[in-house]
Amino acid sequence: MDFTFDPELEDFRRMVRDAIATDLSPEMAERQRAFGGVNSNHADTIAWTGILNARGWSVPHWPVEYGGTGWSPMQLHVFNDELNAAWAPDTCWGITHMCGPVIYTFGSEAMKARFLPELRAGKYYMAQGFSEPGNGSDLARLRTSARREGDHYIVNGQKIWTSGAHASEWGFFLVRTDPDVKPQQGISFLMIKLDTPGITIRRIPEINGDADLCEVFLDNVEVPADNLVGQEGQGWTYAKFLLEHERTTSSFVYFNKREFARARHLASIETANGQPLIEAPEYAARFARIEAELIALEWSVLRELADEAFKYNRTAAASTLKIAGSRLQQAISELQVDILGTRATRYYPFEVEEREEATALWPGHIPGRTANALISRASTIYGGTLQIQRGIIAKLAFDL
Amino acid sequence: MDFNPSDLQRMLIDSAERLITERFTLEHRRALRASPDGMDGDAWRTFAELGWLAILVPEEAGGLGGSMTDAAVLATVLGSRCVTEPFTSTAVMGATLLAGAATPQGELLEALVTGEARFALAHDEPGDRYAYGVPRATRLTTSGNGYVLSGQKMLALDAPSATHAIVTANSPAGPALVIVPLEAPGIEKAAYALYDGSRAADLRFDNAPVESGQIVAEGTDAEALLAFALDRTRIALAAQAVGSMEAELDICAAYLKERQQFGQPIGRFQSLQHIMADMFVAAHQARSILYFALSKLDADPAQRARAVALARLQIGEAGQLVSRQAVQLHGGYGVTDEYEVSHHYRRQLVIEKQYGDVAFAVRNASFRQVNAHV
Repeated sequence: MDFTFDPELEDFRRMVRDAIATDLSPEMAERQRAFGGVNSNHADTIAWTGILNARGWSVPHWPVEYGGTGWSPMQLHVFNDELNAAWAPDTCWGITHMCGPVIYTFGSEAMKARFLPELRAGKYYMAQGFSEPGNGSDLARLRTSARREGDHYIVNGQKIWTSGAHASEWGFFLVRTDPDVKPQQGISFLMIKLDTPGITIRRIPEINGDADLCEVFLDNVEVPADNLVGQEGQGWTYAKFLLEHERTTSSFVYFNKREFARARHLASIETANGQPLIEAPEYAARFARIEAELIALEWSVLRELADEAFKYNRTAAASTLKIAGSRLQQAISELQVDILGTRATRYYPFEVEEREEATALWPGHIPGRTANALISRASTIYGGTLQIQRGIIAKLAFDL
Repeated sequence: MDFNPSDLQRMLIDSAERLITERFTLEHRRALRASPDGMDGDAWRTFAELGWLAILVPEEAGGLGGSMTDAAVLATVLGSRCVTEPFTSTAVMGATLLAGAATPQGELLEALVTGEARFALAHDEPGDRYAYGVPRATRLTTSGNGYVLSGQKMLALDAPSATHAIVTANSPAGPALVIVPLEAPGIEKAAYALYDGSRAADLRFDNAPVESGQIVAEGTDAEALLAFALDRTRIALAAQAVGSMEAELDICAAYLKERQQFGQPIGRFQSLQHIMADMFVAAHQARSILYFALSKLDADPAQRARAVALARLQIGEAGQLVSRQAVQLHGGYGVTDEYEVSHHYRRQLVIEKQYGDVAFAVRNASFRQVNAHV
């Protein structure tokens, strides 16, 4: 065992840090800091992906032949850490971590040539059409149908939690192409352009004033058969591949580190009885517990990245990262709210540019924190609920 | 960065698993309670023969010059069977204090490696609660050509089977670490068992004679050396707690498959599955922060202490979750002496209380946090 970081990683870190400092405008960083959610606003996401792409860094984790950098897992770790620490916007995960990998792994050569250059260039935002109103955790029973007619599919049904659909050019959908086989076997992975006639998108107002979650209604939507990714009937396999492909992403470790640092800063400027909150025993203890959990999470991620031989099924480790990471998202954002006290209860518009200017009474560090904490309740719901993750561990680690 | 055991560590794990699994069965451990000092002397000799006691002893002193990671790897295996042999007191605490002594302790280190000498730290005094870096009421005073030691010590872990105590005292030069053979005159020993079967003793020193060669360290050197040895010992114990938790996962998973209620294995019940999943997450995170702490043990003392505190906090609370739920999953059997889980529960309770409990760790982790650079 060797727990030391390769010293060459520090050179790499400096190189990345300098590049980000050159490329990331203060305005974009400030918008991200003021906003500070899990995802960034769509315009900045697209713009930043383009900027990274100019360096060949927009999809660093992809295979080199598809535009990846060939960096080691530890270099990717440092890269992501630096991006977050510098308040860089995210890329669109639906593209970089979901649809892209499915296309380069399972798509035809034509499909790869058509989509991959656009995806890594950040030409547009993309939404994920998996969940349906009646099929959330029980995704395999999804009912949105795609019936083949000539060189088209005719798609009918309804999707929900299609985040960012209103701002997306494309969506990648799981649809049922064969109703007569086992639920998992009749599902296909289909690219659908969201301005196709027959598609209606409704934004769902959220707990925090945002309306990014969407419902997508598909009414006799004609989709070219060329938009099928891989084989018909293999959609479920591809969706499962996604879950297993990115074992560390759902830990949100970089996001959690960044927001923990923010919480520390907030607790050092907010005071009670003249004392910074961070020195109050009840807060100091909370900080210590969260920091310990956060360090444990980061080292769990490092174990995964360094490919530790693992006694249990690896997917159980991925579920562990998801559980610990989602709990931390909640614990850290709740801590931020508590640090702000009663002022945390003031409603602010979700969009940064719609908020009033900061004043002495209402300084700029107040808005946004509660909005983030409110939507963080979803962190133990999306991507497989906390309970689904526990079920996965019980099954895969213990065969229960 | 590599999280897989080296060839040497793999050998250590394999030989330890073989010996510990075969020898330290539940029946054997329960039988050891009847022995006068709680020790399995034959096993201890095997520990010495296998080189386990020599891991942290420098090569020039006849040891293996190994790392705390090597010691921790072994400690996790000891923890998996709740082994209470005085490994940490001698091979971690003792070896670190002797190897770092201002006056060379070559003979004692040799005796440590062969298993003949065993050591116990005598630090706590009446009214103390993890009072490290605090002046001691126990006094080392000059007498003739030498010194005498007087004072009351409590809860010296593993003292009943030890040959020597390493005593913290106030000397004319400030804090001092003094090594005293326990059969020396002027020492009264009141021994007792702890709930996990390990033994401790209260030690009363009444003008016990000390020669200058027995003073391991004095002044700020003594404080620094003790702090280093304590941090290593805390982590060696935490590694045992991790081994204990991981063993409990296996024990509980097997029990949930075997135990039938309502016509089916109780492992089919989702409420119990989710308890197992939470235990899994806690144990996994515990091992991760153990690695973090091991990576910081040779850092500067402030960083090291903070990393150890964070690890003890995380591992202490994980151990509580896992060991409590392991009892719950076993129903009534969980609170009997006849099932493993009650032994793991007691072992982890004792580990959590040694050299600083969870509350102590919380305070230490937060005290230094404002200017922390972890």
